Amino acid sequence: MSEQDEDLELQALRRELDDAFATTRPRVGFDDELWLRMQAKRPFSTRVRDAFGGLFQGIREVPAVPMAAVAGVLVVVLGVGIFAYSGIGRGGGSTATMGANAPGNDARGNTNLAAGAFGPVPAPGISATPKGVEQAPPLASQASGEYAGPATFVWSGKFDLAMSTAPVYRYQEPSTNAADQFATALGAALQGRPQGLLGSYSATTYTLKVRGTVESPPLSPAYFILANVSMPEIDAAGAGPQDLAAIFLAQHSLLPQWTYTVSVDSRGNPVKVIFERQFDVPGYAGAHLVDSNGIRYGLEVDLNEHRPVFVQGLLPVSLESATYRIISADRAIRLATAPSTNETGGSVPTVQLKQAELVYVLATAGDHSFYEPAFLFSGTLQVNSVTMTRHVLIPAVDPSQRTP
Amino acid sequence: MQADRPPFEDLYREYLGRIYAYIRAQVGAAADAEDVTAQVFMNAYQAYARFEPRNTTPAAWLFRIARNATLDHFRAHGRRERLRRTIEHQPMAEEDPAGQAEDRIRYRALLGQVAQLPERQRDAIALRHSGLSFDEVGTLMGCSEDAAKMLYHRALKALKDAVQREGV
Repeated sequence: MSEQDEDLELQALRRELDDAFATTRPRVGFDDELWLRMQAKRPFSTRVRDAFGGLFQGIREVPAVPMAAVAGVLVVVLGVGIFAYSGIGRGGGSTATMGANAPGNDARGNTNLAAGAFGPVPAPGISATPKGVEQAPPLASQASGEYAGPATFVWSGKFDLAMSTAPVYRYQEPSTNAADQFATALGAALQGRPQGLLGSYSATTYTLKVRGTVESPPLSPAYFILANVSMPEIDAAGAGPQDLAAIFLAQHSLLPQWTYTVSVDSRGNPVKVIFERQFDVPGYAGAHLVDSNGIRYGLEVDLNEHRPVFVQGLLPVSLESATYRIISADRAIRLATAPSTNETGGSVPTVQLKQAELVYVLATAGDHSFYEPAFLFSGTLQVNSVTMTRHVLIPAVDPSQRTP
Repeated sequence: MQADRPPFEDLYREYLGRIYAYIRAQVGAAADAEDVTAQVFMNAYQAYARFEPRNTTPAAWLFRIARNATLDHFRAHGRRERLRRTIEHQPMAEEDPAGQAEDRIRYRALLGQVAQLPERQRDAIALRHSGLSFDEVGTLMGCSEDAAKMLYHRALKALKDAVQREGV
């Protein structure tokens, strides 16, 4: 080979290397997962210190798909038994416009009831996870008080549900226009559309990020407000966290338009005020929206004393509803306590399920996603002398009304 | 004074892909590359308060951390293990729907060959093609700019021979 030929070959190889390095990138979603892990490892006090050191804005940026990554971790960490027989999605919603009721109402009581007005409910967003197979990282499990290991389940509570149908809610996937309108109403200006987000926006005192539905793990459309250093404290002497959160939300016209209950987690800093969304169900008190771990959610305001530092809430979407037949409470209990096919037969703890409630979970389905009813069973068990909680979610929509 | 220090997220978003590619070319397997990349940015995140942009570029700073993390990775796992995993994770065999494109397959195979070069040659190629100047490559590798150039060219020839031999 002549020297000239070799030079040409080396030149070609250099170009190929340039292309190889330029096109080799981590899998989609890795950047957001890692960013979230970095954020999660960071103590809040450190964030505040850095804020005053001039790093605040950049370091406190939320990842592009923060909820996705959070849930990706939490699904493993907390673990909720979800039966394979029909699977289940996870739920969330936002400002609701109750839409037309469904023709499905007409068929109430008919055991061969056709699927509701939306047709067969789509396949759940998460692959069905036989209960008892999740393995939780020990620290996370202990910290949360949630047990995620194998277990057998025994029902020892009382749960009467005198209803055979419940609404299923549907929404259309929000567009970038919808996100822009939401941001504009808040007074935030578009900065860009990073991958995984409908938009990233800035306002005087915060950064706003808006995200659509995430299919896996299923997550509701959401917005995130990250305060910057100029975010003022809320001037309300003597007000508690719930009042402070409500004042902040009212100032930004973000108070929930849906029904909710409020919980305040003041164990750490920041204090978290959570407005837990409920869905209206005829014949039942409000049914909470829960994620795949059985944890209620809706709108969360994090407060560092009187200063809001982070808000994450359901992006308002318009909901339609249709009535679907649901399984009975007895059948749900049988499903919750049925032996899992994945249990190995070794010694596993027994969980006494004592509480049950009707909840809503999200099932994603492309352009349209659904909030579906489900039964949430809860119980406790002793692990190494520590009392831990275990949840089991059972999809409520009758299997005959589900997509095969 | 930190006024000229960009937000860490800016660095993260800008360099994640390049750092990953650099590490991928070293360790061969995607899973290992993710692990090491995560360690790099965890370390960088913690150390960012000490980053002084007047003394070094963000690229040089991050690639130094990446290089150290990669060396730590090899120390922890051993070269034999690295080679075994590299072989087990032949680029052609990876399940990646998008990776069916001929170019991408070839590029991955090429990086697989880079990963099997001797350590300093591998490093020189990976740093250089990650966008660093020879001056920066030399600084990171503890040699002069000229020495870095020589090392790089030697590595390139070795890679060419390997590619011809393996038929990439």
